[in-house]
Amino acid sequence: MNLSTKAKWIAAGTVAVAVLLFITFRYAAQPPPPAVSVPPSVQLQESRLVGRKDGQRQWEILSRSVLQEGDVVTLRELEEMVVFQDEEPYLTIQAPEAEWERKTELLRLFGPVLVEGEEGFRLESDYLEWQGRSSKLLSPGPVQMLWRGMEISADTMTMDTEGEIVFLQGNVEIRDGGLVWKLEEAVYDLDAESMDFYGNVVLEGEAGSD
Amino acid sequence: MTKRLTLLCLLAGMLALAPAVWAQGQSGTLEITGVPADVPAGRYDRQAGVFSADVSAIEGALVHVTFEEVKIVGQTMEWRTDDDYLIFTGGATLTKEDFTVTGDTLEYFGKEKKLHAVGSVVVVTDDATVYANELVYDEETDEAVFTGQVKVVFDDGVLEGEKFVMFLEKSELQFFGAFQGTFETD
Repeated sequence: MNLSTKAKWIAAGTVAVAVLLFITFRYAAQPPPPAVSVPPSVQLQESRLVGRKDGQRQWEILSRSVLQEGDVVTLRELEEMVVFQDEEPYLTIQAPEAEWERKTELLRLFGPVLVEGEEGFRLESDYLEWQGRSSKLLSPGPVQMLWRGMEISADTMTMDTEGEIVFLQGNVEIRDGGLVWKLEEAVYDLDAESMDFYGNVVLEGEAGSD
Repeated sequence: MTKRLTLLCLLAGMLALAPAVWAQGQSGTLEITGVPADVPAGRYDRQAGVFSADVSAIEGALVHVTFEEVKIVGQTMEWRTDDDYLIFTGGATLTKEDFTVTGDTLEYFGKEKKLHAVGSVVVVTDDATVYANELVYDEETDEAVFTGQVKVVFDDGVLEGEKFVMFLEKSELQFFGAFQGTFETD
C-alpha cells in the first residue's frame, strides 16, 4: 500500500468516526435539560443562626425557615432568639418574623415582638430593630416596658445595651407604684436606676400611694 | 384683735397641716412647666428615692406641687420619697385658699411632720401679714414658731418682736422677748 492509499484509508476512517459520533450524540444521547432561572437564594429548614462581632456571639436564632437572598436573610417561624452580652444570654426575643441584613448588621424584628430579660424586664413593640454595629435596640413605634416593678410606655425607644441606657421619646409614661410620671422625653440609666426628664413633666400621685 | 389672731392661727394651722396630705396617700400632682423639650427639667433617682428639679435657669419655667387645695410653686426642689421630705429652695410660695406663705426655702419633713420656712418668710392672710426670718410648724405639738425680726401687720396695727409662737388648737399666742405693738384706736 502506498502513501496515498494509506491516506485515503485514514480519511475514510475519520469520516466514519465522525458519522458515528454524530449519530450517537444526535439520536442516542439524552438532550441536556433546558436552562432554568435559579434565584441566588438559599432556603434552609430548622436552622440555628449565630451573629458574631469581633468573634463574640451577639445573638442566636433558632428558626424553622431561613431564606437567604443576597445579603438579606429572612427568618420565619422563629422558635428562639437570644441576644448575648459578654457571651452571656442578655435578652430573649419572641417575634414571628425577622430580617437580617448581614452587611449592615441590622436585624429587623416584625411584630408582635416580645423581649424579656433579667429581673422581670419585658418589652413589647410591633417592630424592633437590633443595630449590631452600635449594639442598640430600636423601637421606632410605640413601646411598652416592664422593669423592676415599673410600667413604661413611649412613642419611640432606643436602648443602648452596652451603656444600659434607654432613651424614651414622645408621650412617655412611667408608672411606679402609685406614682405616674408623664413627660416628653426621658433618659433612663438602667444600672444606676436614675432617670433624666426633659421638657415639661407631670407627676400624679394616686390615692393609696405612700 | 383677739378674733383676728384666732383666724390667723386657724389659717396657719390649715397651712401647716396641708403637706401631710401627700404622705397620707391622697392624690397630688407635681408639674414642671415652661421647659423646652430638649432641656433637662428633673432627675428621678429611683434607688435613692429622690426626685430633684431645677428650672431656675429657664425663663418662665416653674415647678408646681399640688395636693388637695395646697399649691407650692418654685423653681428648685427636691423630694425624697422614702422619708417624705420635700424642699423648695431659691424662693417658693405655698398657697391655700386665702393665704400664702413665701420663703427663700420651704421644707416639709413628712416623718417629723414639720413645716419649715426660712429666709424672708411672709405669711399673708385676709386678716394679717406676718413677716419673719423663720417659721417652724410642728404638727405634733401644734406649734407655729416665727423667729427673727417678726412683724405681724393688721389693718389697724403692727406687732414686732423676735419670737412669736402660736398654739393653734388653743388659739394661744406667746410673744417672747421684747415685743412692741402699735394699734390705731377708734
